[in-house]
Amino acid sequence: MKTHKILRTIIGLGMLGATSVSAEQLDVEKDELKFGFIKLTDCAPIVIAKEKGFFEAEGLQVEVIAQPNWKQLLDNVITGELDGAHMLSGQPIAATIGFGTKSHIVTPYTLDLNGNGITVSNAIWEQMQENDPTLDTDTPKHPIPATSLKPIVDAAKEDGKKLPMGMVFPVSTHNYEIRYWLAAANIHPGMYTSTDLKGFTNGDIELSTTPPPQMPATLESGKNVAYCVGEPWNQQAVAKGIGVPVTTNYDIWKNNPEKVFGVTKAWADENPNTLIAVTKALIKAGKWLDATDASGKLINREEACRILSQPNYVGADYDVIKNSMTGFFYFQKTDKREMPDFNVFFKYHATYPHYSDGVWFLTQMRRWGQITEPKPASWYKEIAEKVYLPEVYKKAAAMLIEEGSITKDEIPAADYDGYKAPTKDFIDGIEYDGKKPIEYLNSHKIGNKDDPSLSAK
Amino acid sequence: MSQKGSDKFKYGLLKAIDVSGFKVFDPVVRLIFAEEPRKQIQDIAKYMLLPIIFCLVCFFMWDIIGPRHKTKSGEVPSPGKVLEAAKDATRFKQREGEKEAAFVAEGKDREALLADSKKKLTEFEEKTAELQELSAAAAKSGQNKIDASLNPIKEKYDTLKAKYKTAQTERKEAISTLADQFANKQASKDELIAAMEEDSLQKESEKEELKVLSQQLDDIRANPPKEIKEAQLAANKAADEVQHYKKVIDILTTGNREVKKNALLEKAEKAEAALTVATTGAEAQKQAKAVVSNKDKAGKADEQKFPKAATIYWQTYRSLATVFVGFLIAVLVAVPVGIMCGLNRIVMACLTPIISIFRPVSPVVWLLIFQIIVGAFFPDPDKHWLFQTMNESKLLPGFIHNLQVNPAMIFSACTVAMCALWPALVNTALGVSSIDKDHLNVAKVLRLGFWSRLFKIIIPASLPLVFAGLRISLGVGWMVLIAAEALSSSDGLGKYVWDEYQNGSSQSFANIILACFVVGIIGFFLDRIMIMLQKLVSFDDGSATA
Repeated sequence: MKTHKILRTIIGLGMLGATSVSAEQLDVEKDELKFGFIKLTDCAPIVIAKEKGFFEAEGLQVEVIAQPNWKQLLDNVITGELDGAHMLSGQPIAATIGFGTKSHIVTPYTLDLNGNGITVSNAIWEQMQENDPTLDTDTPKHPIPATSLKPIVDAAKEDGKKLPMGMVFPVSTHNYEIRYWLAAANIHPGMYTSTDLKGFTNGDIELSTTPPPQMPATLESGKNVAYCVGEPWNQQAVAKGIGVPVTTNYDIWKNNPEKVFGVTKAWADENPNTLIAVTKALIKAGKWLDATDASGKLINREEACRILSQPNYVGADYDVIKNSMTGFFYFQKTDKREMPDFNVFFKYHATYPHYSDGVWFLTQMRRWGQITEPKPASWYKEIAEKVYLPEVYKKAAAMLIEEGSITKDEIPAADYDGYKAPTKDFIDGIEYDGKKPIEYLNSHKIGNKDDPSLSAK
Repeated sequence: MSQKGSDKFKYGLLKAIDVSGFKVFDPVVRLIFAEEPRKQIQDIAKYMLLPIIFCLVCFFMWDIIGPRHKTKSGEVPSPGKVLEAAKDATRFKQREGEKEAAFVAEGKDREALLADSKKKLTEFEEKTAELQELSAAAAKSGQNKIDASLNPIKEKYDTLKAKYKTAQTERKEAISTLADQFANKQASKDELIAAMEEDSLQKESEKEELKVLSQQLDDIRANPPKEIKEAQLAANKAADEVQHYKKVIDILTTGNREVKKNALLEKAEKAEAALTVATTGAEAQKQAKAVVSNKDKAGKADEQKFPKAATIYWQTYRSLATVFVGFLIAVLVAVPVGIMCGLNRIVMACLTPIISIFRPVSPVVWLLIFQIIVGAFFPDPDKHWLFQTMNESKLLPGFIHNLQVNPAMIFSACTVAMCALWPALVNTALGVSSIDKDHLNVAKVLRLGFWSRLFKIIIPASLPLVFAGLRISLGVGWMVLIAAEALSSSDGLGKYVWDEYQNGSSQSFANIILACFVVGIIGFFLDRIMIMLQKLVSFDDGSATA
C-alpha cells in the first residue's frame, strides 16, 4: 500500500514536470489532426501523447482513430483522410519504392522496438516437443529455433501439404521475422516474384496475410498452424489456451525496429512545423512510457495499459495488455518470464529514425524477392535517406533539450550518421552492417543473392 | 352528444393504431371503451399476453443455455451481461461528455467541476484500493482451489511420465540388444520386427494416457474459478474511473480552453511588455512576432472543439443519417426509372438485363467499387467543398456538423443506395404496369395530357405498391449499411461491431450482442414508419402487412 502511495507521488511529480514546462509553442500550420492506428499495444506513444496531453502542450488537437487493417490505414493516409498514422516499419519504405500502393511516405519517428512473437498451435507444439525432447518441460530453454519444426514441415510436404502460417502484412516486420526464423532453421518460407505477389514460390510452407485480431481465431480453426504477430495477440492465444508462443522477435533480432509514425511527403512539406510539434509530443510520450524508478521498474506502464484498454484504443482486457507491457511475457500458462525489453519505447535511442533500420528492411525485401531487380548498395542508402527524416527528429529533440524535457544523452550524438554499429544479435548470429547491404544479403543461405560487385556501386 | 364524441375519439384512436402498424393494441382500446369486454380480453390474452410470455421464455432459455456454451472467447453472455454492456456503453458516453464539459468549462464552473472531480477521484481511488485487495484475495483463494485440484493430477502425470520414460529407454535398449543379436544371427528377423511393433504400440498407448491427463490439467488451467475474473473486472472498472477522473482533472487544469487561452494571452502580454523595452531590431521583431502569434492562437482557442471518442450513441445517429441519405438517393433514382419501365415496355426490356445482372451483386462488391470510383472525386477530402460545407459551414446547424461527414460515409451511403434501389424500382414498375385499364381509359376519354395523367392517375394508383417496394428497400438498406460500415470503417454501428470484434476483451461479445439489439430495434421502427406511410396512401386495409 505504501509503495503505491510513493508511486503515485512519483507519477504526480512526473506529471507536474511534464506540464509545468511551458515553452514557446511552434507555429503549427494545422492544429486539428487525425491520426490512425491499428489495435496493437505498440500504438501506445500516439495514444499516450494524446491522453497525457503531450499533443495539447504543442497546441495540437488530435483525434486518434482505429483502422481496420494496414492497407486501409495506408490508403487513408495517402488520400488525406488521415494526417498521419502508426505504421509498420516496412510500410513507408514499400510505399516509397512502389511495392504495393505507391506513394512517397516519410517517417521522423520510430515508435518502438521489439514487441512481436511467434505462436504455434498446440498440436504443432506437441510435435515439436516430440522432435526435441528438451522442449518437453514447463519452462523450455529460449530462444527456440525452428529446427524442431523442420521435420513436421517435411512430413506435411511429403503428404503434399504445405503448412499454412500467418503474418500480418506483406511488408510487415512480422513477415520478415517469421521468414528469418524459418530460414535460419533451413525451412524455405517462399519467394515473391514479379508474378507471385503472395510469396509462395518454392516455399516449404505457405505464409499468408491475416489481420492481427483474427490471428487467434485462425489458429483455433486450423487455418493457420503458426503466426507471427504483435501484442496482445500472442498473449491472447495463451489466455485462451489455443497456442504456445515459441519465440519473441527480441530473440530473433535483439532490439529490432518495429513500428514508425508515418506521414506523406506532401503533408510533411506542407506542415513542417506541425510535424516537428508532433515529433516532440511523441518523444515525450515515448519517454513517459519508458520512465523507470530507481530500481528499474517501469512506473508508467500500468497507467498506459489502463488507457490502452479503453474500447476506443486497443480495447483488450487490461490484464491481457498488462501481461506483455509491464515487462513480463507468458509463454505458457505455467511459463511466465521476465522480459523487460519486450516493448521498448524510448531506451537505446529507440525513437531515432536510423537509416540502418531502413536498409535492413530493404535487404529483406530484396532477400525475399519483393524487390525483383538487383540494386546497388548506393540505392539502399538513397531510399533510406528518402524515407527517414532524422533532421525533423533532431530539431524536435533539440527543442526538448532546451525545454529540459529530455537530456542530451537520451538522443544520439550530434555527429551520428544514422547507421547503427554492426551487430550479430540475430538468432543465427549473422552480422548486419547497414553500410554493407549486398554483403549482408549474400551471407544468408536461403533467399536472393546479388552480384558482389554491386556493393561498390 | 358525448356518446358520439367518445365514439369519434375511439374510432380515431383505432384508426391511428391501425395506420401506425400497432394493430395489436386494438383490443386494449376497445376494452377501455368497454366494447365487448369478453372478446377483447380473449384477444388480449391470445395476441398480446401469449407473445409476451413467449418472448420471456426465449430470454429465460437464453439466460440458461447461453452461459453454458463455452467458447474460446469466453462464454456466451447472458441477458444480464448484455444489459451491463449497455450500461457501460452509456457510462462511456457520459465520460466523453464529462471530458468535453471539462474542456469548455469557464470561470466558476471550471472550479466547481475541478473540486467535484477531485472528490470523485479520491472516492474512486479508495474504492479501487479496496476492490484490488478483494481481487488479490480472490486470486489467492482461487489459486489455492486450482492448486488443490491440479496438484494430484499433476503428480500423477509426472510420475507416469517418468515411469514411461524409463520404460521407453528400457525398451530401446532391449531393441538395440536384439538388433545386435540379429546381426550376430542370434535372433530372427521376425523377433526384431515384433519387438519394434510392440514398442511403437506401447509408445502410442502411453502417449494417449499422458495426453488424457495433460488435457485435464489444461482444462483446469483454462477454467479458473469465476470469482477471480469477476473480482478482477470489478477492480478494473473502478480503476478505469480513477483513470477517467485523473484525465478530467488534467483537462480542467491544463487542457481547458479558457486556461489555454489565458496562458496564451498572458504570453502575448509578456511579449508586448518585452517589446516596449526592446533595444535591438531583431529582439523587437521576435517579440512582435510572439505577440501576434500568441494573440492569433488565443483567438483560435475559442473555436477549438474537444475531439470526442466515438460512442455507440453517436455511431447510431451517424448510421441513421447514412441510411437516410442512401435511401433518399435510391428513391430519387428508382421511382422515376420504375415509372418509365412501367409505362413503356421497350424501356422495361432495355433495363431488364441491367436490373437482373446487378440486383444480385453483394453490397461488399459495391462498396469496393464505390470506394474506387467515388473516391476519385475526393483527392483531398480535407479541402473538398462538400466536406467543408457539411462539416464547417456556418449555414448548417450543429447536428449536421456533428455527423463529421467523410468519404467513407459517402461510400457507405452509395452502397446503401445501390442495394436499396432494386426492390423500389421493380415494385414501382410493377405498380405502374398493373394499373387498372379502366383508369387509363378514363384518362384517354378525358384527353388528359401526359403530366396530368401521370400525377392524377398513374402515381396515385400505383402508390401502394411503390410504398411496399420502398419498405423493402429501407429494410435492405439498413441491413446492407451495417456490412458497408464494417468494411469501409465509416463510423457507425457497423464499425462499432467490427471494432468490438477486434478488441476481443471480456466484454466484447456482450457488446456485439448489444449492437445486434440496437440494429434490430431500429430496423423494426424504420419498418413501422414505412408501414405507416404505406397505409396512409393505400385504399385497402393493408392487412397483408403485419
